[in-house]
Amino acid sequence: MPEGTARYPDPVSLIATSGLTKRYPGAITALDGLTLDVEPGIIGLVGSNGAGKSTLLKILLGLLEPTSGSATIFNLDVATHGIAIRELVGYMPEHDCLPPDMTATDIVSHLALISGLPKAAARERTAEVLRHVGLYEERYRAIGGYSTGMKQRVKLAQALVHDPRLLLLDEPTNGLDPAGRDEMLELIRRTGTEFGIAVIVASHLLGEIERVCDHLVAIEGGKLLRSAPLVSFTERTGTLAVEVEEGRDALVERLTARGLRVAIDGSAILVDLVDEAPFDIVRDTVVDLDLALVRMEQRRHRLEDLFRDDPSVAPVAPLAAAVPAAAAIPPPLPPADR
Amino acid sequence: MSLLPPVSRAGNIYDLGYRRYEGPRLGRAHAVRSLINHSFRTTYGLGRSGRAKAAPIIFGAMAILPAVIIVGGLTIAARFGFDRQLDDAELIGFNNYFSAVTAIVALFCAAQAPELFGRDQRHGVLALYFARALRRSDYALGRLAGFVVAVLVLLLTPMVILFLGRILLSTDIGGAFLANLPNVPPVLAQAIVIACLYGGLAMTLSAYAPRRAYATAGIIALFVLPGIVTGIIIGIGSSTIGTWLTLISPNTIIDGTNSLFFRRSLGEEYFFVSLPGWLFLVSAVVEIGVVVALILRRFARIVT
Repeated sequence: MPEGTARYPDPVSLIATSGLTKRYPGAITALDGLTLDVEPGIIGLVGSNGAGKSTLLKILLGLLEPTSGSATIFNLDVATHGIAIRELVGYMPEHDCLPPDMTATDIVSHLALISGLPKAAARERTAEVLRHVGLYEERYRAIGGYSTGMKQRVKLAQALVHDPRLLLLDEPTNGLDPAGRDEMLELIRRTGTEFGIAVIVASHLLGEIERVCDHLVAIEGGKLLRSAPLVSFTERTGTLAVEVEEGRDALVERLTARGLRVAIDGSAILVDLVDEAPFDIVRDTVVDLDLALVRMEQRRHRLEDLFRDDPSVAPVAPLAAAVPAAAAIPPPLPPADR
Repeated sequence: MSLLPPVSRAGNIYDLGYRRYEGPRLGRAHAVRSLINHSFRTTYGLGRSGRAKAAPIIFGAMAILPAVIIVGGLTIAARFGFDRQLDDAELIGFNNYFSAVTAIVALFCAAQAPELFGRDQRHGVLALYFARALRRSDYALGRLAGFVVAVLVLLLTPMVILFLGRILLSTDIGGAFLANLPNVPPVLAQAIVIACLYGGLAMTLSAYAPRRAYATAGIIALFVLPGIVTGIIIGIGSSTIGTWLTLISPNTIIDGTNSLFFRRSLGEEYFFVSLPGWLFLVSAVVEIGVVVALILRRFARIVT
């Protein structure tokens, strides 16, 4: 692989899939014609439980064979270059994967050897990555006595030990308390930005993933909902929230008559902002109707909009049904901050 | 959860930052060698807790004990000048040592094989292996080879004691060495057959039965039941079926190869068998082949 200032040949496709489909016995479709192309960075793979995130990661690793379709990592075909790909990739599975009677040092250095590192290098890198993930003296104790947070760190360390170019992390914050989550997310952010390793983080917790990612891929029912850079959500004009004391229905009627797209969200009226015009129209209409204006503020598009079928429609229900698990999001950032 | 200091804070002073690994990647052969080494060490509990060492130490001691007793007996006998008579009595020697410790080897296999394939499956470690730059068959064969080597060591250690004891106790060391040398090829051949057959069968069962208790019970049953069935069938009166069963049952196969390698006739208990010795060797090779195929098939299909 050519080495320049960047770690990847530029421009490069990190992962690309084409019509990727995976059906399990019993007519369960985990992936349904998924076509995707993302560039290196920290990529959030979001979707509810059972959306096909883990299946996608396993197909990329060559742990599962797709029913149809194709996928590449760094332009290497997963069907034919499995070993070359797995040399470049580190994988942190969702579930427990550590033998309880081994110490962190032993399992991580053993797995480094399996990844092809010579003995001395394996030992040295084990010490380094365990320090990076924040395991110090406890790394000489058997993993059976570890807390969930410590186990997650060991899982991350074993994924990093052979210096991969891409990390595939499956629900890395699973089972962690809020402080543990913050630390894990910070580790992931550092890995992606300071270490220069591309990361794909699968999670059902949108609120977490948006804190570390620069690109989001949303899948649902094995299909791609949306794939876009995170910045595009804050750059795009959003909606105008208007609150009046009474006479809301009349205002809605007038605004609709003026050709605006309007929706109702609780006590607020949400006006779709295609350009600057709605600000004047709303002000004039409120004056015409002689209404008491309580609030008028611009809302940015929210991350949850990813999951709505049509982004041009103003959000009616902030948490769309597409992401049931989104209900578990820690309080979403207030719109004004976005 | 005990909260660890955040990396950024604790590492500020000494943190050299993340360093790339620019060194060589040694590939699949290195991975397989590492797996063989790791499997061997795991089987003997090396680098593991005291509890994990208990079974290999006990079975290892039991397998070596007869050799130690023989050498000790020869030492004492030599003091009183009748070691030659004791040696000629051939109570237990190279040609029947393995038969004497077969049960111990079987128990060792039943206890330790589930430590490898069973442990990797129960704790989900397979996903970590299969996500690395090696084939599934590399993993399966590496683990299997490591265990076979471990069984081989269990078999050969007492033979080395016996060999050295006989030579070093002799007044004519050179002559004793030459006298005992012809025993080496058959001992090696028989040890390899036992290690591959017993080790392979035990690993197959533990590959298909991740739960430790099932695997252990299954392995013991596999080594014991065919012998009992053969006995019953002979008792009923069919020596033809009985003969064929001796070609299937692992412990009769190794009795057969033992008599082949050491050029002895089968024991009295095989009065009903009139088969050439090489047929047992063929049978052992076929069974080992089947065992390897079954293990490869298991790990080619398993979903992690």
